[in-house]
Amino acid sequence: MTSPYAFSAETFKRVQPSEYYRKFLEQDVRPDGRAFSQFRKTILNAGCISTANGSAVVRIGDTTVVCGIKAEVAEPTLDQPAAGYFVPNVELGPLCSAKFRPGPPGDLAQVVSERLRKLSEEYIAFEELCIEPEQAAWVVYADLVCLNHDGNVLDACQLALLAALKNARLPEAQIGEDGIVRAGEAFTRAITIKRPILAATFGLYEGRSLLADPNASEEPLLDSLVTVCVDDAEHLHAVWKSNGGRCSLEQLQRCVELARIRFTELSALLESSAADQ
Amino acid sequence: MDRRRVQGPETSVVPFPLLDDAAPGVVAPPLQAGKRAGGRRPEDMRPIFLRTGLISQASGSAYIEMGRTKVACAVYGPRQIKKQQGFSEQGRLYCEFKFATFACKKRRNHQRDSQEKEFSQVIVQALTPSIRLEKLPKSVVDIYVTVVENDGTASCLAAAITAASTALADAGVEMIDLVAAASLAYQQRRPEGDAPTGENTREAGAADLVLAQMPSLGDVTHLLHRGPVDWAQMSRAVEQCIDVCAKIHAVMVHSLREHSAAEQ
Repeated sequence: MTSPYAFSAETFKRVQPSEYYRKFLEQDVRPDGRAFSQFRKTILNAGCISTANGSAVVRIGDTTVVCGIKAEVAEPTLDQPAAGYFVPNVELGPLCSAKFRPGPPGDLAQVVSERLRKLSEEYIAFEELCIEPEQAAWVVYADLVCLNHDGNVLDACQLALLAALKNARLPEAQIGEDGIVRAGEAFTRAITIKRPILAATFGLYEGRSLLADPNASEEPLLDSLVTVCVDDAEHLHAVWKSNGGRCSLEQLQRCVELARIRFTELSALLESSAADQ
Repeated sequence: MDRRRVQGPETSVVPFPLLDDAAPGVVAPPLQAGKRAGGRRPEDMRPIFLRTGLISQASGSAYIEMGRTKVACAVYGPRQIKKQQGFSEQGRLYCEFKFATFACKKRRNHQRDSQEKEFSQVIVQALTPSIRLEKLPKSVVDIYVTVVENDGTASCLAAAITAASTALADAGVEMIDLVAAASLAYQQRRPEGDAPTGENTREAGAADLVLAQMPSLGDVTHLLHRGPVDWAQMSRAVEQCIDVCAKIHAVMVHSLREHSAAEQ
């Protein structure tokens, strides 16, 4: 029997998004044609902004993030007189999605910024950013602007941040007897990254299916999101699981395995973009 | 204090250059056989790259590059106007123009400053005459512009207006014409089109002009001039900008056609 109502696929998707989605998953495929453990095509372009000390553009599918690094000089803090500053901030403005309104950063932007900052403590060599203990240190501002928010912004931000840091160059600076910091003309000093850490995000759908790299239309349908951050020695650095959905130990283990595979792919991308310059 | 962002130190500065005589303002080199740096004639603009529909989440979008100037623009709407803003029989345009913090030589703040607010106003004023707002009662169309790299502030504003008009067309907003914008700077009182940062210095007596025009109708929708020049120079500059607008219009039409052909 044919239904008295006929919907186009586009209408069905809008009216019944979860039902639409389930129909695809029953056939072991996602609406955009990807397999469950497949990430979207990732493009990385470093050093494209000449006004910044370092920069990178990352595209994961349609999600686009631009990272620009600017270095300035400030007095170190009293409790860490021989360390510099690293200030990552994510801007999820109204430009990138209809979900965001003008004004100060929303919850998601604050969460992503804070996670990037926490991770950065593991790989930034803060003592190398010091110019003169108790007097002057570099402040490395890393601002990430999302130009198109199609899900999984954290993975894109972490990759863009690392690529921009690899690309960044500081001038040779010294403090004079008059207490004024002067910097050379040539931007020669690279910023040391102790170990690269990259993130991989997965979504759990109805407690059963594990979906890698969820996009913006998938994210609201998922029970929970799991982000796994690993480094080149296959050590775990952070695991974040959001929302209340259940997640078994086997699923978590699978996430870690996939995150390690993803890491090798992305670090090859980082290497080749650094080699291009 | 802003608690919603990761905080750095209270103040930070750009270090002084090592050599005291390294002057910060670079003066444009004189013309070589009537050509500027890069082999451009004084009236030439830089090559334009314009692409629509790159921001998939938006109703319409455009990305423009002119030399190293890079501007992204997204249009959302028409949306229902908020109750607090009152009833309006005509539709409204709302624009937010922002330089990314790393877009300029000197780092910008996250909050919009007065220059960015002024530019937002200019974009609204330049585009309003081209849009059939009477078709959109009780609605607002939002335009968001982010400058990713600034290579000449006047050229950023011109690029933003051009991109915003293209994005509006991409979003399917009814318009009577596209709006193209061109900028120029007066170098030693001689108008030079679409100047990058190095050429457009801020020495005393510097002047620049941004002109927005509906090329098919021939109406100028906005004109922003800054600095001391006399009338003869100004009228020459305006004519030069109008010629450039016609060229930009062709690029806008081309990119819109290409995008709609690709969608079908």
